[in-house]
Formats: sequence, structure tokens, C-alpha cells
Amino acid sequence: MTGPATPLSDRPEAPSRTKRNIAIFAALALLAWALVSVDVELDRLVALPGRLAGMFGRMFLPPDWTYFGTAAEAMVDSIQMAWVGTVIGAILSLPLGFFGAQNVSSGPVSNLVRLFLNAVRAFPELVLAIVVFVPIAGLGPVAGTLAIGVHSVGTLGKLTAEAVEGIDSGPVEAARATGARPLQVQRWGVIPQVLPEIVAFWLYRFEINLRAAAVLGIVGAGGIGQILSNTLSYRRFDKAGMAIVIIIVATILIDYVSGTVRRRIIEGSGARRIQGDVLEQPELVEAPGSGVSKGSTGT
Amino acid sequence: MTSASLAGPAERPQKPQGSLLVPAGIAAFVLITYWALSAEFGIGLDLAAILKDFDRGQIILADVIRPNFAFFERTIPSMLETIQMAIIATAIGCSIALPASFLASRVTSPNSLALRMDRGVLNVIRALPDLLYGMIFVAAVSIGPLAGILALIFFNLGVIAKLLSETIDGVDMGPIEAARASGADRVETIRTAVYPQVLPNYVAFSLYVFELNIRASTVLGLVGAGGIGNLLNLQIEFFYYSNVGLIILELFLLVFVIELLSISLRRRLV
Repeated sequence: MTGPATPLSDRPEAPSRTKRNIAIFAALALLAWALVSVDVELDRLVALPGRLAGMFGRMFLPPDWTYFGTAAEAMVDSIQMAWVGTVIGAILSLPLGFFGAQNVSSGPVSNLVRLFLNAVRAFPELVLAIVVFVPIAGLGPVAGTLAIGVHSVGTLGKLTAEAVEGIDSGPVEAARATGARPLQVQRWGVIPQVLPEIVAFWLYRFEINLRAAAVLGIVGAGGIGQILSNTLSYRRFDKAGMAIVIIIVATILIDYVSGTVRRRIIEGSGARRIQGDVLEQPELVEAPGSGVSKGSTGT
Repeated sequence: MTSASLAGPAERPQKPQGSLLVPAGIAAFVLITYWALSAEFGIGLDLAAILKDFDRGQIILADVIRPNFAFFERTIPSMLETIQMAIIATAIGCSIALPASFLASRVTSPNSLALRMDRGVLNVIRALPDLLYGMIFVAAVSIGPLAGILALIFFNLGVIAKLLSETIDGVDMGPIEAARASGADRVETIRTAVYPQVLPNYVAFSLYVFELNIRASTVLGLVGAGGIGNLLNLQIEFFYYSNVGLIILELFLLVFVIELLSISLRRRLV
């Protein structure tokens, strides 16, 4: 044992894999259960490739170009719904986000606001449209817009609160040291730090809302979803194909423009470089509030 | 010179030049909002009319907030179907997304042609929302959970490939160089140097997508693509809004529980 003759077999012990194996086994068991009990006929699965190929052929080879005008108009409706919905969400979520941030608002208030935001977020736009806004505003794009707006308040408010909680407390203390009143502290100490991030969130939300606005027509809430729903149920696949092409092209174009503006806003601010991840997967962001020292708490 | 700098406020540093981009951005914002809001070009949102008609929604809402708990038993099979669809779609979607992500990252893609083609396909896939996939697949294979599963697979592929390829772009290059120096080929490098680095993120994204799938199943049923949404749609058509209330409540709880589980699992991983 002594001396340099230590054999090579003295490698450190491999870390235990029991936990990992249990997790994999549990996941596989769940998958097996789902596969065995789901109500899918195998013959349909076998026929699937042929049917898909046939349908896509009728959709895109070629799409019905005479339908371009109608579909494009409906897509414009969807874009407008997404935009106005995002504006509504942005305006309402800004104060809510500040009240929901623990370092700016007080404990109970912020908890209450967070709870409200979570509850709002739980309702998908479509459910909001069916249950609340189509009855109120009638069929048409207004109902869809309001549904998008209210749902966006939930998500944007949460992101705003998290952005505010993540600020550097230095400028806040500096503003207070110069005798700024509470509102002035927000204006000069907090807002300049979070505004680029929040505006980027708005744009990102607009991209998501555009997708929601494209489907809200299914429940009669306006936009191109209506057209797609009608053409598919009458099996006019060439017209549906035109609508799909328009949705894809418009969405990719808007994503590109919006993404470019977002990157310019975030990187141009020069303060912090936000990882693409933070914007792309808002739901994965954990609240960074614990890092903010108590002394920086504003009012 | 020193006396001059002590002379007082006259010597303040110059204000930085404001960028023209900010007013330009604000102007664009105002214009687009006006265009989208106006009755002439846009959707014609009239807040006064909405407020006036607000009580029209109350009749339905009054039923929705009084869930009919007697309906619970009938929702169980649909809820289980929703969960089954989410599990299957997550498994298949994430399996396809793994190679697609390696092709879509600058670090691991074999050549720029494959990279661009893969990214192009993924962009197209991501441009369509889950529900549109649902409608398309219902048209192709008729109503039922199969259409829903197919729709979710495409939706998941888009989300995971985007997140994971960006994670792969950001991996530590050290292990990759080490693997190459020891003579590993491309696949071996990915297997030993890249995959272990992104595995925790991959699992986290998969859990995240599972959550999204449960949420999406509410709406997939509206177009006939199976799951709890089918039942929801039926109750709406028959104006059984207290049953709608129960389904919404159940989904809220299910999503909440899955979110909690998923957060605690993710915390252990990342």
C-alpha cells in the first residue's frame, strides 16, 4: 500500500446511480402506462403517412392563390389583435409588476398581487374568450383582443415583478441619498434599470400573442383562425393551405423584426447582457429577489 | 485649471446625446397602436361599449364560479386521457428534438448547410401554434387523441429544439477540445463532451414542455383533438357553465400540482 505502487484501480468510486435509475424507471413506467391505455387505433396510425401526404399535397401543391386577399386581411386582423392585446397587457401589468416586486412594495401587498397574477395566468386566452369576452363583446376581434390583453397581464406582470426584484440596489440608494421622494426613487433609481428588459418582454409577448391571435378565431373571436377553421371543416384544403402559408410567413417575418428590435434594446442598453434563455423561456426564470439586500427596500 | 474646476455648477459634464432611436421607437409604437385600434383600419375597440355590456357576461360567469362537483366523476377519463397524451407527446417530441438541436447548434452541426436547413425547418414548425396543428391533424386523421398527440409533438419539437440548441451554443468548449485531442470523432465528441453538459437542461426543458402540454390540452379538445378539452367543448355547447367551471378548476389544480412537481425536480437538476 505504501510507496508509488498504488495500483491504477484506486480510482475514485463512481457516484451512486440509484436515484437516476429510479427516475428513469419511473418515467418509462409512466410512458408505458400512457401508451397502453391511450385510445389510439393502430390502423389509423398505419394509415397516417399516406393521409398526411395526400392532405399536404392538396394544401400546398399549389395553395389557392385567389384566396390570398381574404386570408391576408384576416391575418392583419390577427396582428392587430395581438398588438392591441399586448398594449393592454403592458399598460396594466406595469404598475402591477411594481406592486408585485418585494423590494419595491411591501410583503403582503406583493404576495397578494403575485397571487392575482398567477390566477390570471392560469386561464388560457381561449377559455377567457369563450367564458368572458365573447359574451360581453360579441363575436369578433374585440373579444379576442380583450382575452389576449387579460392573459398578458398575468405573464407580463410576473416578469416585470421579477425584473424589478433583480435590480442593482446602488442607484436606488444613490437616489435616496440625494433626497429623492419615493416616486422619484422609482423614476430615477428603478425604472432606468428595468425598462429595457421590460420593453423586451413586451415585444416577446407580442410574438407569443400573435400565435394566440391566429387561433382565437376558432371560438369566433376574430382573426385568421376563423378562416382556417371554416376551410378545414369544408375540406377546402387548397384554401386552408393558403391561410397556413400566410400565417407561417407573417409569423416568421414579425418574429424576425421583433427579435432584432429586442436584441438592440437589450444590448444597446449596455447595462446587462441578458441571456437569450431568459427571454425565450420566461416560465423557467426563478425569482432572483433574495439577492437584494434589505437596506435597499424602497417604499 | 484647478480653480476653474472648483468654480461650481457651470462645469457639469455634458449631457450624453440622446439617441434618435428612442423617439423613433415611440413614434412607431403610437402609429401602430393607432392603426390597430382605429375603427377604420383596425379592430375598433370601444371601451365605453364594453363597459356598458359588461353585465352580459355576468350570467355565464355566475355559473362558472359555482362549479358542479357532481360532474367530477365524468371528468376523470378525460383528465387521464389528457395526461396520457401529454406523456406520449413529451416522450416522442423530446426524442426527436435532441438530434434536431445538435444539428441546429453552431457547436455541433456538421456543416452550415445542415445547420441552416434544420433551423429553417424549425422556424416553420415554430411559426404555427399548437391549436392550428390540432386542426390540421384532426382534418388528417379525424377527431380523437391521436390528432392531439401529433399536434403536441410538433409543438414540443419547436420549443425544445429552440431552447436546447441555444443551450448547446453556450457550452464550455474545454471538454470538446479535450475529447478532440484524445481522437474522438464528431459523434463521440457530442456523446462525451456536449451531451453531459446539456443533459440537465434537456431534462428541465422536457419537464417544462410536459407542463405546457397539460395546459395546451384544454384548448386542443376545442377542435376535437382529444383530452379534457373535448369534454369542455361539449359542456360549452350545451351551456352547462357550472360543469365548465368544474373543469377549469380541475385544470387549474392539475397544472398547479404539475408545476410544483416540475419546479422541485428541476431545482435538483440544474
